[in-house]
This record gives sequence, structure tokens and C-alpha cells, in this order.
Amino acid sequence: MQSDLSNQLRANQKRVIKDKLVKYSISSGGALVLVTLLLIFGYLLYVVLPIFAPVSIEVEKQFTQTKNEKIYALGLDEQNDISFQIDEQGTISFISLREHDLGDMLLQKKMLSSPVAFAQTSPRHNTHLLTNQTGQAIIFKPEFDTSYPNDQRLISPRISYPFGDQLIDIDPQGKAINVVSFELDDEYAAIAAVTSDNRGLLVVFNATEDMMTEEIVWESELIELPSMPKNVSQMLLSPDFNNLFIRSNDNLIVYDISDADNIRLKSAMSVNAPGSHVTDIQLLTGASSLMVANENGVISQWFEVLKDNKRSFTFIRDFSAGESIADIVPEFFRKGFLTTDKQGYLSIFHTTGDTRLLNEKVSNNENLSVAFSPRANALLVVDSQQVTLYTLDNEHPEITWSALWQKVWYEGYPEASYLWQSTSASDDFEAKMSLVPISFGTIKAAFYAMLFAVPIAISGAVYTAYFMSSSIRSYVKPTVEIMEALPTVILGFLAGLWLAPLIENQLPGIILLLITLPLSIFVTAALWTLLPNNIKQAIPEGIHPLILIPVLLLAGYMSMSFSDTLELWLFDGDTRMYLTNELGINFDQRNSLIVGIAMGFAVIPTIYSIAEDAIFSVPKSLTMGSLALGATPWQTLAKVVILTASPGIFSAVMMGTGRAVGETMIVLMATGNTPIMDWNIFEGMRSLSANIAVEMPESEVGSSHYRVLFLAAFVLFLFTFVFNTVAELVRQRLREKYSSL
Amino acid sequence: MITLPKSTAETGMLTNLSAENTALEIKNLDLYYGDKQALFDVSMKIPKGKVTAFIGPSGCGKSTLLRCINRMNDLVDICKVDGSIELQGINIYDKSVDVAALRRKVGMVFQRPNPFPKSIYENVVYGLRLQGIKDRRKLDEAAENSLRSAALWNEVKDRLHDNAFGLSGGQQQRLVIARAIAIDPEVLLLDEPTSALDPISTLTIEELITELKAKFTVVIVTHNMQQAARVSDQTAFMYMGKLIEYDDTNTLFTTPNKKQTEDYITGRYG
Repeated sequence: MQSDLSNQLRANQKRVIKDKLVKYSISSGGALVLVTLLLIFGYLLYVVLPIFAPVSIEVEKQFTQTKNEKIYALGLDEQNDISFQIDEQGTISFISLREHDLGDMLLQKKMLSSPVAFAQTSPRHNTHLLTNQTGQAIIFKPEFDTSYPNDQRLISPRISYPFGDQLIDIDPQGKAINVVSFELDDEYAAIAAVTSDNRGLLVVFNATEDMMTEEIVWESELIELPSMPKNVSQMLLSPDFNNLFIRSNDNLIVYDISDADNIRLKSAMSVNAPGSHVTDIQLLTGASSLMVANENGVISQWFEVLKDNKRSFTFIRDFSAGESIADIVPEFFRKGFLTTDKQGYLSIFHTTGDTRLLNEKVSNNENLSVAFSPRANALLVVDSQQVTLYTLDNEHPEITWSALWQKVWYEGYPEASYLWQSTSASDDFEAKMSLVPISFGTIKAAFYAMLFAVPIAISGAVYTAYFMSSSIRSYVKPTVEIMEALPTVILGFLAGLWLAPLIENQLPGIILLLITLPLSIFVTAALWTLLPNNIKQAIPEGIHPLILIPVLLLAGYMSMSFSDTLELWLFDGDTRMYLTNELGINFDQRNSLIVGIAMGFAVIPTIYSIAEDAIFSVPKSLTMGSLALGATPWQTLAKVVILTASPGIFSAVMMGTGRAVGETMIVLMATGNTPIMDWNIFEGMRSLSANIAVEMPESEVGSSHYRVLFLAAFVLFLFTFVFNTVAELVRQRLREKYSSL
Repeated sequence: MITLPKSTAETGMLTNLSAENTALEIKNLDLYYGDKQALFDVSMKIPKGKVTAFIGPSGCGKSTLLRCINRMNDLVDICKVDGSIELQGINIYDKSVDVAALRRKVGMVFQRPNPFPKSIYENVVYGLRLQGIKDRRKLDEAAENSLRSAALWNEVKDRLHDNAFGLSGGQQQRLVIARAIAIDPEVLLLDEPTSALDPISTLTIEELITELKAKFTVVIVTHNMQQAARVSDQTAFMYMGKLIEYDDTNTLFTTPNKKQTEDYITGRYG
């Protein structure tokens, strides 16, 4: 007996194991959910964070500078293996940066004796020009040939002469050329020069292919520039050969040289910062922006802006480097540039990002020259004592907080604006990656969807839970819930290809529908009350709402058939034209109305289902209590039921909003994906999610674009996170307040 | 075996009540839930300014009968009523009678306290607000009066605007009573008002009921025979949808006419 009882009291081993197994598997399942969430969060951050990493430079190689001459130009090959220097004696020297022969002179050549002026093209053409005392110039290009002897990369320097290795006559009168500018591309080249007797010359070259030898022959034409200011300090030719910039101290004169036969003065203005003087001007990559450096360290950006139907050079923004700027060096392919000052400080900027990315002392003496490597991953810094190669970590200079979230004045635009335009066919393109228009698009799409869905879903839920007979309810509720399982791609497809053209063609009918549908319901309800009782009772309980179906169909059909008549009568036969011309409202075929309806349709089941549960679970005792106090069913609904169900209804709406914010397929297919910022219901939008879906496949892994798309995903994540958190907090508060019995 | 009388009418209970002393007169009331008949030919007169108790075993129809008096049974789709109930000579089942207006005259308190998720004050003035009364002074006055009548004023006067759910069960039930009497009904129906309460709260409510009959006609359904004996002036005993016996409480409990009544009050079944 005793042992029997102790056996019974002893824990059953099997049961204990089962219990523990279940306990641990459930806990680990829960933990895994959290871990997954954190992993997603972590991975997004891992991809996004490099955007905001600070720019840094680090000494990689260093050797002693042997020359004392002032350096005109510096450069590197793509692999950062060989550097070249062009000095004031007209010598070009190629110096090795490789480990095994660091600092060795690989090739040196005197290009021109006693040069007076120097010019170079935009960095990507990397061609240089030296002029002499007698109005002549030599044009040459440092080149790097790559070969693979013994499977080892070998880069050897070479000098090429695009215009032949002979001197080119620029001034037929043979005067010294003091200031010169030079630009070329495949078929066209131009040299602008100022002679010692202050004549302005423009030599344009046209390339023609010799039919017989297939050699390129350059034909030149000399044009004398109409008037020249005194004391020309600098000249710049834009790489598109449209503009010639002449700086005379603080004044800038711009000639339109796009037509060589008709050179016009475009504008003249002073460009110095208030209370300071200009020290240097430089064109940014892409030729649109002119950077003006000042003695007080201010660098201002100017470009042509269309204003009052006239393009004029306009001050856009300025940067401050702190000290008097000696030189501006643009990057090869991006809208970045660096400046050096007399104190040996180097600063790196980016125009779109509107920030100084780096400020560091790199030298102690004044004769500082700096060059970007072609891939912008290294800097060559030369002063009178040392040559230093820095590695440069500056992957995403264009993405800053201000570029993402604030108005940016992009090149060529009339004003600062929020824009998303991540890529274009042009290399000179300034990426416009403001997240504002696409975040706006997300909110706009969700807003219109909720505008459509919330009234319908909540009214539907109220009707089903509160008025509908339980037998009908048991059919209606699952049917609406099944709508949720409808793939959104089908909704998007229907919305984009069927609904959008329909609404476009039948717009007056659709607007009419907004009036006729509710009206027909009210009229039917009114007629119903007038019906004799025996007819009323003949219809089984709960079936009477079905009477509305033919009524609604009829109202819809009538609206649609009146559409054309209405269009002729009110909108001069073409509603779209009328909207655009008379009311100034743009109309896109795929617009917010379509998205509102299609996405509204997608979120209705979510809202309906949760709200219906909430209303249905309001205790009957409360309803009874209210009715027993002489309340009508309507009063009971408004004052007790809705109030008590409010936490549930609120959370239904928030869930719906969360779904609308994250919804991709419908917005992708039904909006036209134009990233505009306008509440107009007849225009489209681009949402964060659709933007990711559209652009992710075409973005280069690791590029700024790629990372910004991840940032967009992160923002979307935060959107839903914030929505759900707020929803939960409010729901908790409401539940505390209205917790029912 | 219990033999049932052919009709309750023959018992002739309190039939000689004069018209001005009658609050309610139930005449030949039959009630069907679908095909199932739940009340059989019930007729009785409920006197004005008195407490009338309905007793009987579970499922005997006493709550159903009570719900007929303010037409709460209308909410049940399949429920059908024959016969009439006259409130001061007017048949409440007449077509011209507005149910909401009727319920303002015949208030009801349920088994479980069911305050609304609002403040104590808002609960009490709910019925008045429904009638469109907005005058703050009137509402305040009515709230105080009915809370005093419900013996709750002293306990809640400092926290009128707190949530009603902060009150104890007994207080909640008194609040519900206050809510019901705030709209000044003629008749107050209490459907087992103390069955969800502890003994102390029950006692308070019972005392309250005795006070309430000065102003209202009270009809109470109770499970508890002692309660019926304590608070009521008349008692009706129902069994299987029929009114078996209806008499002064003292008479019914001391010298019941019917065998079933005696069996029930002596605890032989129920």
C-alpha cells in the first residue's frame, strides 16, 4: 500500500520529458522569432551604415620629392602604381609608386622649353597643354599601358600626342600666350587663349576621318574673341564647348561659344564672396557647376538656372574651408572636389551632399599640389619635400542626411527641391536620392487607401456585428475574410489594366456614382418602410439587405450610361482636358484614386475582420443595459457599443494602415510610379516599397544607390514599427479605459 | 407526481385590486420561443408602490415574464407574445407604443452589474442624455438625487468622474440602480439583482429595495426565497411557465394554497 502510493506520487518520467520538451521548443521558437527580427534589423543597418561612415585618409606610401620646381599638374594611373608630375619647366616626369621601386623616375621628358602657361582638360580626358613665348603650344597626354608579361601586371608610362608631336600655332602674330584653357573630346577640341597684348583667341578643332587612310585629321579654325577684359587671371572652357569662362580678378565673364561663328557675351558678374577676393575657379565634373574659391575660405557653387525664360548663372550654395584657398581639384566622375589652402590643409567636399567631408593637415609648406586618383580611392599629395600617396575612403559622399531629407538644389533645376531620380543614361548625372518624395508617396497611397477602406470596412463591421442576423453573418464574415487571401498582384493587375482605363473613360460616371450609390440606398430604405407589413413579413428575416443588390447594380449602370451625356454637358466632352485646362488639375491614368480603391479593397478584409470581432465581443449585458434605459438601437450603438469596441476598432485601423504602408504590388502596378509630391488624387506616386521593388534589380551591389534602397527598406521598417507601436500603446490605453466586464 | 391546475386564472390571486392601485395588469399572456411555449396564460395584477417577487425553480419562466414587462424579449428574433400587459390601462404591446419610450417608464436592473465604460457620473446621467437633456444643472441634480436614492452618494461623491469599473460589485449594482431610477420610471424590474454579489452587498441592496418602493413599483425576480420573504410584499410562485400561486408574501410563505408552492418553499425541489 505504502509503495503503491509513493509510486503514484512519483513523477511520470515520460510526462516530465514531454513537458520539458514542449516548454523548451516553444521558448526557443519564440526566441528565434526575436532573433530573426534582430537579424533583419542588423543586416539592414549593416548595409546602410557605410553611407554615414566618415571620410578618412591614411598615408600609404611616401618618398622624398627631388624637384624644386612648381608643379602645374599631378596625376595617377587607375591602379595607383605610377604618378606623373608636370612642372613649370615644361617637364613631365613619371615616378613609380610601386613597392619595389618606390620613387624611381620611370620616364622623363621635356615637352617645351620655358613655358608660360599651362592648361589641362577635364580629368577624364587627362590631356595637357603648354604654351611658349611665341604663341605656340604643345598638346600631350600621359598614358599608361597595361601588359601582363609572366602573368604579372605591368603598367608602363607613355606620352601620346593627340595633335601630333609638333608645336601648334595659336597666335599667328607670335605673341606670348599668358592665359590658356583647353578642352577636347573625340571629335572636337578648343583652345582659348589670351596673348601678352591682351587679344582673346579661340582655336576650335574639328576631327575628320581621312577616307583613304582612316586617320583622324584635325582641322583648326581661329576665331578672335570680341572684347577682352584687362588682367585676365583664368580661363575655363566647359567640356561641352558651350561656355567660355573668363575670370578677371573678382569678375566672371561668360561667353556662349556653342556657335563658333556667333560668339556672344552671355553674362558678366562679380562672383566673389562678400568682403573677399576670388583665388580660383574650377569646373566640376559634368560641366554644369562652376566652383569659385575665395580668400576667406568660402567656395561658392554657381550654375545656370532657368529664370524668367532666361538661363543665367546663379549662386547656389557655398562651403567653407576656413582658410584662403589655393587650389580646387574636382573628382573624376562625381560631383565632389577638394581644396587646399596655404596652411597645408586639405578639405574634401561634395556638392549634392552639401557638406565638408574631411579637413586634415597634409603638409607644412605652401607649394602643395593634390590629385585625385581616377577611381577616387587615393590622393596624391606633393609638396616641396615629399610625395605622399594617401588611401582615401570616401565611398558615398553624395549621401548625407541633408541630401536624403532636405531640399537640395540640383544642377540645372530652377530651385531647391525634393527629388528622387537615382539613375539616368548620362555619366554626368547628379543622382537625386531624396527619400522625401517616396516616403510621401507611401503616406499618400496609404492615406487614399484608408480614405476608401475605413468607412466601408467599419460600417460593414458594425452592420455585420450589430444588425445582421446570425445566420447571414455566418456566411458574410468568412466571405469577406477570404478576400484577404486574394493575391495583391491580381488586384494590382486589375486596377492597372482594367480599372484605370475604365475610370479614365468614365470619370463623370464614377463621380456620379459617389452620389447615386448612397442616395439609392437611402431611397430603398425609405421605400421599404412604406411597404405594407404583409410584404415585409413575407421576406425571411435577414434576407432584406439582398434587395439592395439589384438596386446598387441599377444605380451603377445608370451612372455609367449617363457618363457620356454628363461629360458632354458639363465638361465639354472631354473630362481629362477639362480638368487639366480649366481646373489646372493634372490627370494621370494610373493615379491615387485607382490605388485608393485597389489597395482599399486589399485592406478592407483586415480592418473589417478585426473591427467586427471587437464590436461583436462587446458584452450583450452592456447593450441590454443601454436598451433597458430607453435607448434606441442607434443610440446604443453610438454611445456604448462603438465606445466599448474602440480599442479593437482602433487597432483594426492601425493594422490596415500598416498593411497599406507596406503593400507593394498594388502600388507598383497601379500608380505609374512617378516620385512626385502632390496630394492631387488624379496623380500617381511612388512608394518606398514599390521603389525598392522597381530599382533593386538594377542597382549595383555596394553602390550608394544600393545602400540608399536598403535605407528606404529601413525607413519602411521604421514606419511599420512606429505604426504598430503607437497602435499598441493607444490600444492598451483605450483598453484600460474601456475594459469591459 | 405533481398535478398542475388547469388554469392559473382560477386561483384568483389579488384579483380584487382596484384600478388606481394597480401598476401593471398582465392578461392571459402566452409566450413562445419559436415552437416552444415558455409562458402559459399568465394573468396577474401587480400593485403600485409595492415590492412584488417572482420565485420559482430555474427555467420556470420568471425572468421571461419579467422581460415581457419592458419588452426586452423583443430583442429575441424568434420570440412571440400573445395576450397583453397593461401599464396604467395602456397595453404595452399595442402597435402605437414606442419600445424606447416604454423602457423609460419601466426600468430594469440585470443579474450582473453592467455599468458602461464611462465615469460614474456619465453612467448615472446616461438615460437623461439619451433624452437630449444637456442642462448641466439638471443633470447634476438628477445624478445626486438618484445616487442618494441608491444609497451610493456618500461613497462616490468625491470621485464622480472616475471610471465606474473602479467600484466594487455591490457598488456597481447600486450604480446601475441609480442609473435606472435617474430617468424616473414608474416600474423598476430587478432580475436577480443580488445573485452575483456577496452577502454584505446583498444586504445593502435589499435595504435599498425596501426604500425604493416608496417611489417606484418594484418587481423582483429572485432565486432566493429568504430574499423574497425579506423584501417583498407579494410573491408569485411560478413553475414550468405557469403562475401557480400569487399572494401576499406572508400568506404565501406561511399558508400556501398549493401543494407545489409548499413543496418548493419547504425545499423539496428547486
